[in-house]
Amino acid sequence: MMWRALSADWLKIRGKGLWFLVFLGPLGLTAMQGLNFGLRYDYLKEQYQADLWGGLLSNVAGFVPIALYLGGTLVCSLIANVEHQMSSWKQLLALPVSRTAVYMAKLLLCLLLLVCSCLLLSAGTLALGLLLGFGIQAIPYADILRLGFASYAGALPIIALQLWLSVSSRNQTFPVAAGITLSLLSLFSMYLSEWMPLNWPVLAWEAESPWLFIASGLLLGLLMILPGAVHFARKDVD
Amino acid sequence: MKSTVITTNGLRKVYRGRAAVEQLDLNIGQGEIYGFLGPNGAGKTTTIRMLLGLIQPTSGDIQIFGKELRKHKLQILRRVGSLVESPSYYGHLSAADNLEAIRRILDVPKARIAEVLDIVSLTGEEKRPVKGFSLGMKQRLGIAAALLGSPELLILDEPTNGLDPSGIQEIRSLIKRLPAEYGITVLVSSHLLSEIEQMADTVGIIRQGTMIYQDTIAHLQEQAAGELRLTVSEPEAALKLSSLSGCGGSLQESRIVLPRMSDARVALLVRELVENGHAVYRVEEHRQSLEQFFLQVIEGGIS
Ligand SMILES: Nc1ncnc2c1ncn2[C@@H]1O[C@H](COP(=O)(O)OP(=O)(O)OP(=O)(O)O)[C@@H](O)[C@H]1O
Ligand SMILES: [Mg+2]
Repeated sequence: MMWRALSADWLKIRGKGLWFLVFLGPLGLTAMQGLNFGLRYDYLKEQYQADLWGGLLSNVAGFVPIALYLGGTLVCSLIANVEHQMSSWKQLLALPVSRTAVYMAKLLLCLLLLVCSCLLLSAGTLALGLLLGFGIQAIPYADILRLGFASYAGALPIIALQLWLSVSSRNQTFPVAAGITLSLLSLFSMYLSEWMPLNWPVLAWEAESPWLFIASGLLLGLLMILPGAVHFARKDVD
Repeated sequence: MKSTVITTNGLRKVYRGRAAVEQLDLNIGQGEIYGFLGPNGAGKTTTIRMLLGLIQPTSGDIQIFGKELRKHKLQILRRVGSLVESPSYYGHLSAADNLEAIRRILDVPKARIAEVLDIVSLTGEEKRPVKGFSLGMKQRLGIAAALLGSPELLILDEPTNGLDPSGIQEIRSLIKRLPAEYGITVLVSSHLLSEIEQMADTVGIIRQGTMIYQDTIAHLQEQAAGELRLTVSEPEAALKLSSLSGCGGSLQESRIVLPRMSDARVALLVRELVENGHAVYRVEEHRQSLEQFFLQVIEGGIS
């Protein structure tokens, strides 16, 4: 049942700017580093000469968490807005499909789109590294793949929260404002405890034991789905 | 006795301490067009939302196709098509893609899309984005979506709201065709008595959340009797005729106004007028408006 809902959602997001966003994020990050390394090529090459690829990755990684937060916020909002816009919830939920299936389909769609972004980021970074002439032998494939996905796992709790907020309120001002606020807070919350979920995307990339934060992100993300799905299944639909 | 499709028992919905629907007992028979009538804010949409499982009743229960809605919601919804309030659509998609998005959930054959487009006469417009559609076309697309799953029960909330007279006529004749051609039971809401009168078999009137009348249209028409208006050459003299004054006629704006009466009685009156040398210009039947009728229902205690 969820797959049928997902296949319908797949059709509905056509021409809604979601795909544009999915491409814009990773390509924007790569382009930014292209500019950074292009302009300061000699300086940076000298600075990172021990590990050119590592230098590139750490420069990209600095922006991945906030990009995930902002991108996740917008993707959730756009997906929910497809139904809010012309009050389609009432039509959709009067169909023979369970509300849980509808909610899970939206969540899955959101997660899939962000997976695409993470893959694009890895591909973009790889291309940039090669373009800068960092050499084929030294390519750190695992790290390049981990670049997007580690932080992604750490960001899951917030993404699940954003979907819940966006689906719950017809007016998207509050959910988007909340998402942006959280993104900005995440820049400063590093000075607080490691156990702030807001920090996990950063820690999942650069902490000494990143797996701890990746696992925590996955776990709390899964837990965050629950209240959202239960609330959605019970609420009155206008 | 026809089998019943929808039965509700003491249905009630409270919003912030105010009951939007109170003690509602609906009874809708198989294959009929049920007109659900009530002024703005009466609780029609609230009731329909409860019937579709979109909102939870505060208390009371709903049976559709003889099954408890709460327990068999998806099974029941599979056999129901609906259009609730303002049309829902995905503006950036074409009409065909709008239906396709719903079809993927219903899992019916692709050919069904062309069929329903044809039923609501939107064939030829299916490739255009729906945001460029007129309100009437959007409304028809909504009906097409409701028909997509070949429902046995169709629930339409004010389907003619905002349409022009020809659009209203078109949708009305479409709704009237459904029970006969496809065996579909229809629940249609409206705030216009005249509209319900022209298509429904049975009518339920709701006011401030409570059902105040539920019976056949024929029975309603008898009870909601209107008045007869005669325009004649010399009204004052005509009114003095014994039989006219005998049936309680009065003079209003130089017209004679009489209570509703049988066809034979009207024929007799007209003949008498003509025989007495009056010219009869007009014989009109004037129905009460819904508001007047409501007042009568409430004050006169018809139930
Ligand atoms: N979500 C809600 N929250 C609070 N009150 C509500 C809500 N929905 C409906 N109501 C109230 O319930 C009452 C019935 O509303 P409803 O929409 O069912 O009326 P209606 O008969 O469909 O009217 P209309 O002809 O205007 O469509 C109204 O007084 C309305 O204000
Ligand atoms: Mg209404």
